[in-house]
Amino acid sequence: MITLGLEEKNEILSEVNRRSGANVLECYQCGKCVSTCPVSNYMDYPPRETMQMIKLGLKNELLMANSSWFCLTCSACSGRCPREIDIPAVMEAIRHIAIEENYINDSKKVKEIRKFHEIFLDMVKRYGRNYELRMMAEFNIRTRNLFKDMHLAPKALLKGKIPLGVKPMKSAKAIQRMYKLAEKLDKKHL
Amino acid sequence: MKKLTYYPGCSSHGTSEEFDKTVKMVMTSLDVQMEEIPDWNCCGATSAHTLSESLAYALPLRNLVLAEKLDNKTIAIPCASCYQRLKVTKYHMDNNPELALRINTTIVGEGTYTGKVEVKSMLQYCYEEIGLEAIMARVTKPLSGMKLACYYGCLLTRPKAITQFDSPEYPISMDRIVEALGAQATEFDYKTECCGASFSISNTEVVIGLSGKILEMAKESGADAIVVACPLCQSNLDMRQPDIEKHFGKQYHLPVFYFTQLMALAFGADPKELMFNKHIVPVEEALAKIGKVEPGPEKIKKPKKALEAESEVE
Repeated sequence: MITLGLEEKNEILSEVNRRSGANVLECYQCGKCVSTCPVSNYMDYPPRETMQMIKLGLKNELLMANSSWFCLTCSACSGRCPREIDIPAVMEAIRHIAIEENYINDSKKVKEIRKFHEIFLDMVKRYGRNYELRMMAEFNIRTRNLFKDMHLAPKALLKGKIPLGVKPMKSAKAIQRMYKLAEKLDKKHL
Repeated sequence: MKKLTYYPGCSSHGTSEEFDKTVKMVMTSLDVQMEEIPDWNCCGATSAHTLSESLAYALPLRNLVLAEKLDNKTIAIPCASCYQRLKVTKYHMDNNPELALRINTTIVGEGTYTGKVEVKSMLQYCYEEIGLEAIMARVTKPLSGMKLACYYGCLLTRPKAITQFDSPEYPISMDRIVEALGAQATEFDYKTECCGASFSISNTEVVIGLSGKILEMAKESGADAIVVACPLCQSNLDMRQPDIEKHFGKQYHLPVFYFTQLMALAFGADPKELMFNKHIVPVEEALAKIGKVEPGPEKIKKPKKALEAESEVE
C-alpha cells in the first residue's frame, strides 16, 4: 500500500524514524548522498532511492535489499546532506528491522558480510575480546573458502602482524550475560 | 602530571600492537599517566551495531561505566572504531533517556552510567589537551625531509554532531602534529575517504578499490609515507597494499605509520623499539629521508638491477 507522507499509516517510515532518530520526510531527493557514497554502486537501491522508498512505504523491498548490508557507516553522506539526515542511522534501522523480522537477503555477498559479523560477535561472546586469527580462520571455514587471504599468512604471521593467541577478559561471563539481556531487548521491539 | 583513562581496544593485542606500544612511549615522554580500564571488553565495532541495536550500545556502555570508577576526566582511545562506538554510545546515553534506561539494564551489577567522563580519540587528546607547543618542545630528532600524507579515515571526525572534533571534510590536526615534528604534510584530498574498514575480510574487493584510490591520491600528493590514527586503516593500507598494487598494476611503496610511531621517533626513541618490523610495506626507504635508519639488509633495488642485467644479457 502506498501512503506517501502519512507517517501514522506508513509502518516502515514511522519505525525507521523512531529507531534512527532521523526524519526521513525531510529528504528532498537532491542525490548528494549517492554521489558521495563509496559503495552506492554495489547497492540494490542507493541511499537517495532508499529514502524515497521509505516515504513510499515499500517495506518488503527495503527489508529484502542488500543496501543496508553494504553501508559502511562512514557518514560521508550525512556529512554532506543539506537536510542533515543521519542516513547511516536510517540504513542501520532498516537492517535491524530486517534481522528482527527475519527478512533474509540470500545473495552470496550479503550472506558473507552477515557471517563475518556473526563470527566476530561469537569471538567477543567467548573471550570478551576479538581473537583475530581465529575469526579469520572461522570465516574461511564457514564460507567454504579455505584459501582466502592465505597468501598473506606467511608474512603476517612471521612478522607478528597477526598474533596467534588472544588475551581474554577475566570476566567474560559478564559479557555472556549481557548478550542474553541484549537479545531479549531486541526481541521486545517486535 | 596529567592523568587519563586508557581504553586500548582488542587490536592493541593484535594487529596494532605497535600503536599501543608507541602511545605508551609517547605519553610517558609527555608526562601523562595512563590508567587502563580494568578488565575492559571489546567495543563490538562494527559487528555489534550491524546486527543488534541493544548490543551496539551495551558493549561500549560497560567500558564507560568502568571508566567512571577511575576518576579521570577523559578516556583516550587510540582506535578510531572503538573511539566512535564509545563516543556514539555516550552521545545517545546523554541525550536519549528512554534508550539510556533500557540499555542500562544490560550491564546489571557493573554500576550505573552517569556520563561524567569525556571520550576523546588519542589524536584529539594530543591535539587539544597536550597541544602543539608541548609536542614541539619534546622533539629532539626532527623529521625534516619527510613528506607525509595524513589520512584520518571516516570515523575520527564524523558524524560532526557527535564527534565535535576538527573538520569532517578536511581535518588538519594530524597535519599540524607531523609539522610540529618537523615533517612536511602534503596537500592530500582523500583524508577522510573510507578505506572499506570492516569489509577487509568479508568483502575484500571493496577494500581493494577504496584503499587503492587512497594510495593513489597519497602518492600523487608527493608523500613518502602515509600517517594514520586507526588500526583498520593501517592494516587495509599496509597489509593489503601488495594486493592493491597487483590489482591495479601500480607501484606505491608507501609505508603506513601510526602518528605515535613518528612522535616517538622525533622524541628520540630508538627506531628498534617502534616495531617497524611488523609493517608489511618496508619502511627503510621513507625513514632514510630523515637519515634516521640506514636501508636494511634487504635492499630492494639490488635484486631488481641484477634481474635487469640478466635480462639484458639474454
